[in-house]
Amino acid sequence: MMQTTFKVHRFDPEQPEHARLATYVVELPESASIVDGLTYICDEQDPSLAFRANCERGSCGDCALRVNKKGVLGCTTKIVDVVGKDGIVTVEPIRHVPVLKDLVYDMETFLWRKVRAVTPWITPQAAGPNGASTVSEQKIAEVRTAMSCVMCGLCDEGCTVVAVDDQFVGPAALTKAYRAIFDPRDTRHVERLQSISEPDGVWDCTHCFEANGHCPIGIEPTDRIFEIRDEAIRLGIRSGKQNPKVRRHYDSFVNSVKKSGWLDEGRLAIESEGLFNVRGLLKLLPTAARAIVRNKAPIPYMHHKRPGAKAIRQIIEKAEGKRS
Amino acid sequence: MKYAFYPGCVSRGGCPELYPAAVKVAEKLDLELQELTDVGCTGAGVLSRDLSDPINARTFAKAERNGLSTLMTICSTCQGVMMQANHRLQSDTAYRVHINKTYLADEGLEYSGALEVKHLLWVLMEDYGADKLKAKLTRPLSGLKVAPFYGCYLRRPSDLMAPKGFAGRKTYLEDLISLVGAEVVDFGGKSKCCGFPILTANEDNSMRMVSDHTGEAKDKGAHCMVTPCPLCHLNLDGNQPNAEKKAKKPIGLPILHLPQLVGLALGFDEREMELQRHIVPPDAAIRNVKVNMLS
Ligand code: SF4
Ligand code: FES
Repeated sequence: MMQTTFKVHRFDPEQPEHARLATYVVELPESASIVDGLTYICDEQDPSLAFRANCERGSCGDCALRVNKKGVLGCTTKIVDVVGKDGIVTVEPIRHVPVLKDLVYDMETFLWRKVRAVTPWITPQAAGPNGASTVSEQKIAEVRTAMSCVMCGLCDEGCTVVAVDDQFVGPAALTKAYRAIFDPRDTRHVERLQSISEPDGVWDCTHCFEANGHCPIGIEPTDRIFEIRDEAIRLGIRSGKQNPKVRRHYDSFVNSVKKSGWLDEGRLAIESEGLFNVRGLLKLLPTAARAIVRNKAPIPYMHHKRPGAKAIRQIIEKAEGKRS
Repeated sequence: MKYAFYPGCVSRGGCPELYPAAVKVAEKLDLELQELTDVGCTGAGVLSRDLSDPINARTFAKAERNGLSTLMTICSTCQGVMMQANHRLQSDTAYRVHINKTYLADEGLEYSGALEVKHLLWVLMEDYGADKLKAKLTRPLSGLKVAPFYGCYLRRPSDLMAPKGFAGRKTYLEDLISLVGAEVVDFGGKSKCCGFPILTANEDNSMRMVSDHTGEAKDKGAHCMVTPCPLCHLNLDGNQPNAEKKAKKPIGLPILHLPQLVGLALGFDEREMELQRHIVPPDAAIRNVKVNMLS
């Protein structure tokens, strides 16, 4: 048995000003998890403590928490592995979510509305003669990792964009989108890619790889997002209807590397806004003026070619030609 | 020590002060750089990987052809993109053979998969070594409070960027700041995204990130911030006035490139490190160092 001091976030929606960390001392075996600790507190010391846990084996995502400032699944995290030298563990709700009570937060605002927005079910063609929609082992292998997502939302909790904008669809929903996009039975491949290419979708991801670091079961959501994005590019989607700048940015980037072997930043800034978008171009002026004063503004289209430019162009053209 | 040097597009474009600062620092430290001039952009995480992997494989093959085993970058983004490409090419032989055959054979090039890609920060801390670097410093930056800003791609994905045996990479920037005699200002945003990659897709979010990080560092008492990534620099310095406006908060935090910070400690002056080119003028920070030099 071991003794641990739990400092647990308490929050009563009727008295939000009294949010605090309450202290509980628990006595539990070495094998106990954070959820075991919370259950013990609830059963033996304070039945008013609210928290969520369902499967208690790391497969439902219900118990996502912040323990000692790090997002974890409470049921698969052993106390002994996270307790500080002082014998204390701090348990708080995950970040960027509306908390309802104590450790319980609003899943609808946090995740479900975003998951619904990516229509996370597949739309197969009519079933085969035996009534089943079969799929080969090899073809489903690609989506198998994404299929093990338990929707804990820890990737969203760690997401650099969700932290500043809760409208961003986030890595958890994009992982669900990936699962449907790459399912060989689905018939809405292009439609899906178009839909998540609209603002607050896949192009709003900074690909900072935070999501990979926060996923407790190794789904590597950032890589899944890269794959979605590369597939969209392959099919010529490159942006949604509402954010044509993203497409212009990509096209300008490719074209400048094709032309000179490297990036013409001045050209990129102008072409991303759009050559005929007077308002957009005017918006660039103050930033450009500041750079000109400091003698650091790259002059658009005055970009010299790299010695290897021709070879690089050939590589790009060959790679683009290979996209089936 | 001899390296294939990959300066990246931005050190010659939007941050032209970075290239000379890096070259001067390397010269002073006797790092022998052989610049690769006939190679392409890494793709910067913008180009899809079917385009950028072969371009990067070509760069690696060129470095190998020059008889070099390590390629040095001065940009976290170049570092990350190249390292990820290199990882794919190294761990999947069939893929590497395919890239070699399809894209590099025309030029008689072939990438063996043996090249190491290292950011200047890693070169300084791992190859050069803290003791040797310390011995070269002529102007300890005492009194200067510096906030570190890594940029995503020098830290993540963590298993690739700081694998077993390289856990120290997570604090090299802080270690270097202390090594040059300055004070580290620790803050939550140091390993977060600067917002540059979504400047086009969502400017508001990008500016929020700039004002959050620079504002937090400033509030914690930083005189300046240092970054090993010129793309982070472009956003944190170049767009700081725009971010201040959006956040309705004056910040005014100078952002130094990594070689500039080292260069100052090596005795180069403000103009030699071309600090006058920054959008947020670093006067206050440098003044602080000078005061401490005299005292
Ligand atoms: S991808 Fe990982 S972190 Fe994100 S919801 Fe799924 S299991 Fe949780
Ligand atoms: S209770 Fe289901 S994952 Fe923890």
